[in-house]
Amino acid sequence: MTSEAPRLTVVTGSEANNAWRKRTFSVISHGLLIGASILMLYPLLWLLSASFRPENEIFNATSLWPSSWSLDAYFRGWNGLRVSFSVFFLNSFVIAILCVVGNLLACSLAAFAFARVPFRGRKFWFAMMLMTLMLPGQVTLIPQYVLFRSIGWIDTILPLVAPKFLAVDGFFIFLMVQFFRGIPKELDEAAMMDGCSWWRIYWKIMLPLSIPVLATAAVFTFIWTWDDFFAPLIYLNEMKQYTVMLGLRTFTDSTGESDFGGLFAMSVLSLVPIFVFFLLFQRLLIEGIATTGMKR
Amino acid sequence: MTARSMSTSSVNSQRAVNNAWWSRAWSNNAPGYLFLLPWLIGFLGLTIGPIISSFYLSFTNFDLLTPPRWIGADNYIRMFTNDPKFVASIRVTLFFVIFSVPLKLAFALGVALLLNRGMRGLPLYRALFYLPSLLGASVAIAILWRQLFAGDGLVNQVLANFGIIGPSWISNPNYSLWTLIILSIWQFGSPMIIFLAGLRQIPQDMYEAASLDGASKSRMFWKITLPLLTPVVFFNAIIQTIEAFKSFTPAFIISGGTGNPINSTLFYTLYLFQEAFGYFRMGYASALAWFLLLLVAAFTAFSFLTSKYWVHYDE
Repeated sequence: MTSEAPRLTVVTGSEANNAWRKRTFSVISHGLLIGASILMLYPLLWLLSASFRPENEIFNATSLWPSSWSLDAYFRGWNGLRVSFSVFFLNSFVIAILCVVGNLLACSLAAFAFARVPFRGRKFWFAMMLMTLMLPGQVTLIPQYVLFRSIGWIDTILPLVAPKFLAVDGFFIFLMVQFFRGIPKELDEAAMMDGCSWWRIYWKIMLPLSIPVLATAAVFTFIWTWDDFFAPLIYLNEMKQYTVMLGLRTFTDSTGESDFGGLFAMSVLSLVPIFVFFLLFQRLLIEGIATTGMKR
Repeated sequence: MTARSMSTSSVNSQRAVNNAWWSRAWSNNAPGYLFLLPWLIGFLGLTIGPIISSFYLSFTNFDLLTPPRWIGADNYIRMFTNDPKFVASIRVTLFFVIFSVPLKLAFALGVALLLNRGMRGLPLYRALFYLPSLLGASVAIAILWRQLFAGDGLVNQVLANFGIIGPSWISNPNYSLWTLIILSIWQFGSPMIIFLAGLRQIPQDMYEAASLDGASKSRMFWKITLPLLTPVVFFNAIIQTIEAFKSFTPAFIISGGTGNPINSTLFYTLYLFQEAFGYFRMGYASALAWFLLLLVAAFTAFSFLTSKYWVHYDE
């Protein structure tokens, strides 16, 4: 209360000076930020333009505008390997979509148990789940590989997809628990009174109210599985089963040295789905990261 | 007769109590465990089971074709006494972690502070800076990076405009790891978003009170912003460090799976992959995996223990 008076004098005393300083500061920071954005995005734009360039121009032009545009590299790249990229894209989509379904189902079930259903040992299992978040995947890698090999799952997409139906991605459980806890408990208590089973509460009340968090989990799952390189590298050896990422890697090994245009064109295409998700769900992604601090 | 009937009835009632206890325990706990079932199967079958069996495998010689053969601590002994590639991979990984994480966080915090001063166009900047984080783990970006820092790549073409003839960054062991560190810093967007969210939480009246007391901007940063932001710094540091330890794809693509030149990009994960799936030395690779687990666990424990000296918590 007493602080009101001095504050007024401070403001009026240096108002003009302040306004001027503010403007310079804002010009300088916008300059910095624009410069930084250009520097950061330049490589991406360069990749995009290189994919449209005539082959002989790729390595002697720093400008972003090709002298002539052509889609040749895209056609060359698409059929640049023994198996065409349409197969790789189809495989990647199938795997990513199955992973999304698995993660949404299994993680939301577990999250519902942790957030709502009382049972003995809930705290203990929740702590266990949090521990798995810190676990480096390499520790489980080899026994998992041995296990999947012994049941004949090598060279199938099952090792990539089936674990998602067992909720191995603790991050999403954590994300959903946080969200479920924010939904008023009165809702399920009232439903309980009316004789609703836990299953109906989960299916008819919780899930419909959790569309935002489910969407966030779906988008992140899609992007992470789309990007995943390690698991397909280990489990898929037949080129017919390759994902886009494996296709790209093979491209760099075999024809990549001679056909940079085709390699760049396929690289651009491999980024398109992620970029589309970024455009459509930017807000969801950014909020998802801000609230849970997910890694990327 | 009465006694007999009494005893049977007490047995019966005891049984009834038991049954009631069981059915109560069942009805109290079954729904929770049913919902948890998929996770529980995954946790026991794909996490705990494999952790235990990889511990066992780390004491064996195992090539996947013949059954594992017990060799005691030989794998660990070899790791520490007779494996230059192990030493190289540890050195590469630690170097990467020590340089990439602080630099990335510094960029993230710097840009977040700039954006947090009520900048116009914040959503646009935030989105632009975030884009590389989202794309960065992709094979395509690793391919792009290999091209940028190649002898005739974009970086050297730009440098040539200034009359500088750059080396082939990715095939020079002095610089190759730095290209990967730059790739990691390039993805500062996601910690930046977390910093921005943290900065929002700082109550504005603290700054007003401080400026009334005549505190300078830099003093306010060191005395208010940074201390109140330490939980977020801590969180980001942990997440990014664990991510850095796990980094694999860029080094694999850029070095073509070799970790060269002269093992200068031989990340620990890459070396583990080579041992397991290149040479099928599954026992030795399990030992490497367990050492990584201990390393990450020790790091996490150390950070949590030291955190009370520098992380500022309310209450």
